[in-house]
Amino acid sequence: MDFDLTDEQELIRGMVREFAAAEVAPIAAEIDREHRFPEELLPKMAALNLLGIPYPEKLGGAGADYVSYVIAVEELARVCATTSLIVSVHTSLGTWPIFEFGTQAQKDKYLHDLVTGRRLAAFALTEPGAGTDVAAGKATALLSGDEYILNGSKVFITNGGFADVFVVMAKTDPTKGARGISAFIVERDTPGFTIGEGERKMGIRASSTPPLFFADCRVPKDALLGGEGNGFKVAMQTLGGGRIGIGAQALGIAQGALDASIAYAKERFQFGQPIASFEAIQWMIADMATEIDAARLLVYRAASSKDKGHSSATEGAMAKLFASETATRVAGRAIQIHGGSGYTESYPVERAYRDAKITEIYEGTSEVQRMVISTGYLR
Amino acid sequence: MRIVVAYKWASNPQEAVVGVDGSVDWSRARPGISEYDLVAVELARQLAEATGGELIGLTAGAKGVGAPIACKAALSRGLDRAVIVEDDSLEGAGTTELAAVLAGAVRHIGDVDLVVTGDSSVDVGAKMVPTVLAGQLGWAAVAEVTAVSGQPGTLRVERTVPGGVQILEISGPAVLAASVDAAEARLPGMRDVLAAGKKPVEHLEIAALDVPARGAVVTVKGASRPDLKARKAQIFDATDPAAAATELVTALRGSGAL
Repeated sequence: MDFDLTDEQELIRGMVREFAAAEVAPIAAEIDREHRFPEELLPKMAALNLLGIPYPEKLGGAGADYVSYVIAVEELARVCATTSLIVSVHTSLGTWPIFEFGTQAQKDKYLHDLVTGRRLAAFALTEPGAGTDVAAGKATALLSGDEYILNGSKVFITNGGFADVFVVMAKTDPTKGARGISAFIVERDTPGFTIGEGERKMGIRASSTPPLFFADCRVPKDALLGGEGNGFKVAMQTLGGGRIGIGAQALGIAQGALDASIAYAKERFQFGQPIASFEAIQWMIADMATEIDAARLLVYRAASSKDKGHSSATEGAMAKLFASETATRVAGRAIQIHGGSGYTESYPVERAYRDAKITEIYEGTSEVQRMVISTGYLR
Repeated sequence: MRIVVAYKWASNPQEAVVGVDGSVDWSRARPGISEYDLVAVELARQLAEATGGELIGLTAGAKGVGAPIACKAALSRGLDRAVIVEDDSLEGAGTTELAAVLAGAVRHIGDVDLVVTGDSSVDVGAKMVPTVLAGQLGWAAVAEVTAVSGQPGTLRVERTVPGGVQILEISGPAVLAASVDAAEARLPGMRDVLAAGKKPVEHLEIAALDVPARGAVVTVKGASRPDLKARKAQIFDATDPAAAATELVTALRGSGAL
């Protein structure tokens, strides 16, 4: 068992870390404070092939492995959870279903622009009455001649305010529950499709998270993705891959909080010595570092399994579950180490604390991950 | 046009830990391409792109400089190929020895029109290798270079001089040391990193380079921090601002600060 990264993976970590330090870190606090989506980062990330990391070079992607992808997401999340989320959702939720389930015509039309970062993608599944209970969704897509007519709404759609291409789930047969769901590719500016105001959130504040509204929105038949009635499968497989990206995001948030805590503990003097010399702080750092390393091993293993073609839902679920809960715990301890200062906006750990929580919720709550894991073990 | 960019693979002193007793722990300092050499790579790359020239990376040093990750790190920066001289005898090599090895390698590569180097290395900072290398090759040497364009035989070089910019035309091969702010080093993209491992790397044996025997050996016998001068603290009564300003200027002149 080789736990070392390849040279390429190490160099990719270094490159993304350098990019994150130079371009993302300087604006991370500002975009969070202003709830501002960092549009200016998109072309910069595209230039470094960060918006199509695991997709083939011949399509315009980077042609990198999944481990490199999670390393990149982790390094971005170390300084800015929002930026890492933009990459993760665009890559794993918005682009992947088209790559995996699209017809050749759909792939020819969309993939090059998406994997080169010329266009941004989003994934629209969640509804006001359908979060974990996907089958309870009410959005419909009824066939009328050569078109489907979409009606309904979606909420909490990451990248929604700035995406050009949306993978949207809607019921082509409302009588069939989950089996009546179909997936569609809907482009921004399609008549009948409007995008609402972004949510103001506790964390990942710069992430664009608007509701979407469909009112007699007509899309051609060839916008159907993956065949009628296959939307649930499209959604579940998409989310299964996406959760490794969220695991990487959580890992990065935790690592950033640990890095900040170590630096602070060495500089903060109380009772004539740095607080890093106190056992209470040392043990907190030890626990944080150990949990982060354990999370890293789970996330990298899930990514490596995907690279080797034997991806398992259980591994992905374990990675997301453990990394997200670790991020929340570590961020909380980071504030404790920083004391009162950690509670202010002057230090990055309060943002890490606010950002971490959502990783336990989206792309499958911790409860859902536990269901997946236990199903894997008890069948 | 054939351009060689000479870079150093060295530990970053910013990552070294200095103890209370002044000792330096390098164990946590990760090696990488010297910061100022990345500027040289970018300057050379821009010229290669403008002229359709070939860009060759060259480095010499002790064990490690030719490691796969070191080669890939360099090649990911837009080099077409790399030439490496890796030999433990180069551990702690001085300016003259290193320049001699690099000169031997440049002669081995052949038909080189231009060598570009960084202003200095991040770990030693001697600023002498480019000039000594030019001397070894018998070529023109120019330092503080901020821009280069043109073709072999009519190379146009801009350099910073006190108070302004000097423009030179060079009629033959030359060694140029890039100014530290000559260019903003481009980050390699994911594709550049992944393609690096497929580019050619040539390892040269030092014995084949006709390097003169080492002459005088320069040994570092010690280092110390400068004596700290006692800080001066003088407070000026600013009740009368104009008078206080005059007093301040007088005091600053008297201390040699102005």
